[in-house]
Amino acid sequence: MSSKSKALPKGISAAEFDKAVRELRAIVGDEHVIVDDDKLAPYRKIMMPVPEEQHELSASVMPDGVEQIQRVMKVANKYRVPVYPVSTGKNLGYGSAAPVQRGQIVMDLRRMNRIIEVDADLCTALVEPGVTYQQLYDYLQEHKLPLWFSCPAPSAIAGPVGNMVDRGVGYTPYGEHFLFSCGMEVVLADGQVLRTGMGAMENSNTWQVFKWGYGPTLDGIFTQSNFGVVTKMGMWLMPAPPDFRPFCIQYPDEADITKIVEALRPLRIAMVIPNAVVIAHTLWEAPCTPVKRADYHTGPGAISDEAVKRIQKDHDIGAWNVYAGLYGTKETNDANWKIIEAVAAATGGRIITQEASKGSKALEYRFDLMKGKPNLGEFGLYNWRGGGGSIWFAPVSQAKGAETLKQMQMAKTILAKYGFDYVGEFIVGWRDMHHVIDLLYDRSDETQMKNAYACYDELLHTFAKEGYGMYRANTAFAEKVAATYGPVKRDVEKRLKKALDPNNIIAPGRCGISL
Amino acid sequence: TLSPSSAASDVYKRQVYEKVCRYCHEANVGPVLKGRALPEEYIRRVVRLGNRAMPAFRPSEIDDATLADVARRVSAGAALARE
Repeated sequence: MSSKSKALPKGISAAEFDKAVRELRAIVGDEHVIVDDDKLAPYRKIMMPVPEEQHELSASVMPDGVEQIQRVMKVANKYRVPVYPVSTGKNLGYGSAAPVQRGQIVMDLRRMNRIIEVDADLCTALVEPGVTYQQLYDYLQEHKLPLWFSCPAPSAIAGPVGNMVDRGVGYTPYGEHFLFSCGMEVVLADGQVLRTGMGAMENSNTWQVFKWGYGPTLDGIFTQSNFGVVTKMGMWLMPAPPDFRPFCIQYPDEADITKIVEALRPLRIAMVIPNAVVIAHTLWEAPCTPVKRADYHTGPGAISDEAVKRIQKDHDIGAWNVYAGLYGTKETNDANWKIIEAVAAATGGRIITQEASKGSKALEYRFDLMKGKPNLGEFGLYNWRGGGGSIWFAPVSQAKGAETLKQMQMAKTILAKYGFDYVGEFIVGWRDMHHVIDLLYDRSDETQMKNAYACYDELLHTFAKEGYGMYRANTAFAEKVAATYGPVKRDVEKRLKKALDPNNIIAPGRCGISL
Repeated sequence: TLSPSSAASDVYKRQVYEKVCRYCHEANVGPVLKGRALPEEYIRRVVRLGNRAMPAFRPSEIDDATLADVARRVSAGAALARE
């Protein structure tokens, strides 16, 4: 083994690194430590507009249990080598499985994939980091359990722990994943194992049912942070409703977003529509239909509004496409359906029911996601420009019509300046929107890569000036995004980091936190 | 209720094409693979390196033996009726 040409952890000599690797091998087994350049290739695949070298890892270590992780921590502290934990490592558009800083050792927890418990009465699950949504889905099917989970679009290959730890979202009534998590187990930098909430108590059987425990509730500090390695997570599951009625409402004009949001907000807050609704723009729908960009636009620059109109007409796609569902009994859904029909009629929207949706790829995958059925239909997005370039620009917005229109127009203008298209959707919470924009570019094109970086930078800072912050961001921009939230917050985070991880060994740089 | 990981991963090995690849490669996201007699080595490389829009998959997700098996079966598989 040679570490001559490799990325080494910051400030570590090749000799020291080799010693650390030898000790890691003794813990997890030779075959579960990778240092060979070729074999590290899968970790290197990123969609961000920065060179791969910037996020090059030095090694990968794959522990298969809490006890092994505790021992890995000892080695990391001894040699001061940083480890970057990933669960399923499918954080596409946010950094994938590559470390936030060059030279870190990826601690790959995918092998820890046990579904520890599913309680069919309490509708809870306890899972390890390597469990995928597909695996959980298969488990529930196999055991004939009428329970649904919520998942993000990369469901089949992503998993609940990694997604929740980055505070990702899904599309069912349980779509705000951190909110519906309950109980965590965390290995701290000093090797201690912390269980949050009721899990801290000996013999407790309420870890997955009551979130807060006693005293400070700590779960939140282990999400989007680097204060520990999450090794177990409890989650609440939704009982499958007797009647599920997904639907789409299409609207003809971009400016309709104002009345859509005004009409939806009261329905969401009153929970007439209980799920995380999506309002998707034409150009999000198009690549998932699939429509080819090249058929409507060639050459440089953003696609024209006129071409977008033609796509809408040719492929029966709205300027905005609202996806929502009713979850209940036939009687309650019949009653609420009348409200939906009235709202659609009053706002000029065209309802597409599940019956009428047959044959549409874009509608089918949405309706599946709204009941937590894994698929990868949305990866069609990556074919819009092709070339493997994608970063999520995801500002938070109030659920107010004027705000969403303003954000959409701001984003569209800046994207167009760099030759990129507005490919966006709003994921509707009760009072908030995750305004999710896929900055799609051809990563094999040097100019587009530079433009994409500059474009995100300008988006970030223009939005920040207007008081809009990101809910989540890719690793290349972690530092810049953290800076938009101000110095006091960062100072507190640093003090926590110092107290919990004085040697700065867990993912330094994640979300801008480092000593 | 306990689910031993070994059982889970056995299922995964047998079904990795159905549970992973098919979601894109029979759904108009990625190109159809079945029946194209693609060289096994090519399939293995694309899976490990990723390829533009396609993500890469790590040995912790699909081990070498399973990947070789999937590549062999995809390579030798009958052509899909569609496309």
